[in-house]
Amino acid sequence: MFVVLRDLLRYNSEFLAGILMTGVVVAMALLSFVSPYPPLDQFVAPMDVPPSAAHWFGTTSRGQDLFWLLTYSIRNTLAFGLLVAILSRILSLSIGLLAGYRGGWVDRVLMSINDTFIVIPLFPILVLFYFVMRDNMSWVMLAVLTALLGWSYDARLIRSVALSLRHREFTQTAVFSGMRTHEILSREHLPFVLPIVFSTSLNNMNWSIGLEVTLAVLGFTDINRPSVGGMIYWANQHSAVVAGVWWWIAFPVGLVVMLFIGLYLLAISMNEYIDPRSRLERGGGRKE
Amino acid sequence: MTGALLELDSVSKTFTRGGLFSRTQVEAVIDVSFRLEMAKPEIFSIIGESGSGKSTLARIILALQAPTRGTARFKGRDLAGLRDGADRHAFMAAVQPVFQNPFEAFNPLKRLDRYLYATCRRFAGAKDEAAMQAGADKALRQVGLSLAEVKGRYPHELSGGQLQRVAIARALASGPSLLIADEPVSMVDASLRASIVNLFRKLRDELGLSIIYITHDLATAYSISDRIIIMQKGRVVESGDARTILADPKHPYSKTLKESVLEPLAPGERPLFAR
Amino acid sequence: MSAAMRNPAAKPEAAQGPVVAVRDLRAWYRLRLFGVDREVKAVDGITFEVRKDEIYGLAGESSSGKSTLVKTIAGAMRPPLEIVGGEIQFSFMDGTMGLNRAPADLVERVRWRHLSYVMQGSMSVLNPVRRIGTSFFDFAFRHMGLDNAGFEAAVVAHLARVNLPASVLKAYPHELSGGMRQRVTIALATICRPQFIIADEPTTALDVVVQKDVLAMFRSIQREMASSVLFVTHDMGVHAHLTDRLGIMYAGRLVEEARTPDVFARPRHPYTRHLIHSLPRIGDDRPRIGLEGTPPSLANPPSGCRFHPRCVFATERCRVEVPPMEQVAPDHRVACFEKDRVEATP
Ligand SMILES: Nc1ncnc2c1ncn2[C@@H]1O[C@H](COP(=O)(O)OP(=O)(O)OP(=O)(O)O)[C@@H](O)[C@H]1O
Ligand SMILES: Nc1ncnc2c1ncn2[C@@H]1O[C@H](COP(=O)(O)OP(=O)(O)OP(=O)(O)O)[C@@H](O)[C@H]1O
Ligand code: SF4
Ligand SMILES: [Mg+2]
Ligand SMILES: [Mg+2]
Repeated sequence: MFVVLRDLLRYNSEFLAGILMTGVVVAMALLSFVSPYPPLDQFVAPMDVPPSAAHWFGTTSRGQDLFWLLTYSIRNTLAFGLLVAILSRILSLSIGLLAGYRGGWVDRVLMSINDTFIVIPLFPILVLFYFVMRDNMSWVMLAVLTALLGWSYDARLIRSVALSLRHREFTQTAVFSGMRTHEILSREHLPFVLPIVFSTSLNNMNWSIGLEVTLAVLGFTDINRPSVGGMIYWANQHSAVVAGVWWWIAFPVGLVVMLFIGLYLLAISMNEYIDPRSRLERGGGRKE
Repeated sequence: MTGALLELDSVSKTFTRGGLFSRTQVEAVIDVSFRLEMAKPEIFSIIGESGSGKSTLARIILALQAPTRGTARFKGRDLAGLRDGADRHAFMAAVQPVFQNPFEAFNPLKRLDRYLYATCRRFAGAKDEAAMQAGADKALRQVGLSLAEVKGRYPHELSGGQLQRVAIARALASGPSLLIADEPVSMVDASLRASIVNLFRKLRDELGLSIIYITHDLATAYSISDRIIIMQKGRVVESGDARTILADPKHPYSKTLKESVLEPLAPGERPLFAR
Repeated sequence: MSAAMRNPAAKPEAAQGPVVAVRDLRAWYRLRLFGVDREVKAVDGITFEVRKDEIYGLAGESSSGKSTLVKTIAGAMRPPLEIVGGEIQFSFMDGTMGLNRAPADLVERVRWRHLSYVMQGSMSVLNPVRRIGTSFFDFAFRHMGLDNAGFEAAVVAHLARVNLPASVLKAYPHELSGGMRQRVTIALATICRPQFIIADEPTTALDVVVQKDVLAMFRSIQREMASSVLFVTHDMGVHAHLTDRLGIMYAGRLVEEARTPDVFARPRHPYTRHLIHSLPRIGDDRPRIGLEGTPPSLANPPSGCRFHPRCVFATERCRVEVPPMEQVAPDHRVACFEKDRVEATP
């Protein structure tokens, strides 16, 4: 693992850039734990102060310090992305591995379910849920919903790898050693798909965070829980741009864009690492 | 102990290959029948053309694939009716495979000893760590290795011959009554080949194990098998007593096969592929 | 096949001199297990050369380091395998480390054209989710300089030489039998007519009839281009009929090397002698016995001559001194103190 990391850092500048950008965002989120302001308090700072030494990112029209508010928001946004990624990984791994390993009717049934989810229009469904649930719609519930809607594409990818593993002789050796299906999936096949899981979960985080930001900006989430999208929503409510309070929009947008780019760079450099051909070339190795 | 250990009754297998539009049917196995007796353990060899369906036949006997037509029975039970669960478990303990390519037989990302331990635990009733290790060591010693040499090592750390012996040891660890060995010696040197083949003979004589030995090596087939079938394009073209057939094959393909064996040259003989 | 298919760069110069010269090569697996260093000396001081225009055979005990040797020559080493000492010199490139420290673009150019390598057990290297035809396209298309139709025709014609129908191009690897897959990899390695082909156990999964055709193809490709082949196999019958010279390995060392007929007729090393006497034949009922004793450990090899614990000719000297590789006749080298006694023994 350490060697992999070292190789990545040495040969891959995208990876380095990705690590740095994501690192900054994560550091921001961690700062929230030492914030001098409780996140939900309003009018604890002067209003509409532009970025200055006292308030690095300025303050909002609701009397909040933007920098410290942003640390909470980005933390919540990251937590949302992580939760969705983890939940949807569990789904896509178990379904993809099982479908690929079992093949036959199990595969057909699971994959037709999968295809249904691929074509479902997500956005309207989430909005619909918001209107049905209204105030009961917590962020955890939103994350569960998003995960339910976001596993299908990666499950297909995992299935295609599992399908090729099924035909390899060592799978038969495992079967005849008496290993059960769940052992074969988790011990024999999982290691082969883990690299894909890593890189797709980064993409998945990007996707779910994008979705959440969009929903929040439009006001379809719990707007009282600080989140990057929620901040932009409030800024719009206060016509921040018209009022010249540009920082209220600029910093959240800048940070979330940085997160997008960072995760994206990490994902592509991992992808490259996973594809052994490009890796070998990079490491001075050779193709076979 | 009477009755058939294994009975194949006009077994055929057809594969469909290709995409949606250009399908081709491959008749991998056509009408194969034979019977191994429980009372008389034997080494039963299958030789034949590459692609003539030998491995497919092996997979049918291992209940990994169902025949398209015909039935395969193990101790009177139709293999097609074998469901997951206790039945299958008992079947797997009794019928174990050794595969063709030892480099593929083990997961490259995992340690080798796991498979031995798992087999001992699941099929040989080894309860604790010590029993599993003892079982694994015993099986490995039967093939001329020891647990100390294998413990903690990954497949790529062993040579082809060593790997193949680990694979045989793993199959023996469950105490099977039928071993399906698909080209088990193709990757090892002549001397080791002799010892593995002698091991098969010993297993037959001492443990009463029946072995289906699939091979391209006519010489070892001759030296250890009791009966033999010769396959070409999915069909059995000749079958019977191994020595009789290999000493004096009747079918044209069997004859070609025997003539094609490359043996060290007699003095004055010219190599076939000289420059 | 058409002359257009040939690669001008692969044209041989004069058929002389070695295509690869290996000098005192040592390649070890250096493992660190729970803080304990362990060195598996799989190739330990090997000197030999493969000449232009010949098929050089390599035989020896299982796990004596044959695959390690050819891996090292082919530049397909992976950690923990390391070159500890010695030289590898190719005729088609500079440097004494062969491909092992060459820059990636050079390796890329040399692969397929000058040197190709069929790994042991290579039937498992085919990508399981790509059709065979796609693999051919990926590997060989760039190197052949043909248009699509010409390329496909060349591939089909080449497959026919290893007895495979064109229909395998549409198949996935798992839909082929072991022997068919093995032939696919041979076809892949030979289609570009490289100057030097390294084949590690390429015919183990083939029936004897097909094997004959494949061996004939190796010889004819070799002859067409006056190229060189390094051919590893356990099958002494194959060596007898195919190879020009033959090296015998035991425990990481070359113990004997001679023109193939001489190895069979006049083996001078006890291990070679055993190998040749242990060959089973159809119709011969004498039981064949494996070599007595256990195979040597390459992590902790026996002192002196590595064969001494199992050697019936061994003397006190063998236990302490390492027998050097010595020329005993033209093209015949042996590493044994008792070589004359071995030769004299019937
Ligand atoms: N899953 C599959 N799908 C389609 N065709 C298959 C499949 N498995 C095997 N075949 C075909 O069935 C035929 C027999 O294959 P099989 O592996 O049984 O041959 P074999 O006798 O074991 O050959 P070898 O000696 O080369 O191992 C071949 O033509 C092969 O292409
Ligand atoms: N990656 C590795 N790590 C540690 N040891 C290894 C590794 N690969 C091979 N070895 C050891 O090196 C020795 C030589 O192996 P090699 O594969 O070269 O033998 P070989 O002569 O090709 O044998 P075979 O004829 O059985 O294929 C063996 O003892 C093997 O266990
Ligand atoms: S040197 Fe001695 S031990 Fe080694 S092979 Fe010769 S006689 Fe045997
Ligand atoms: Mg087969
Ligand atoms: Mg080898």
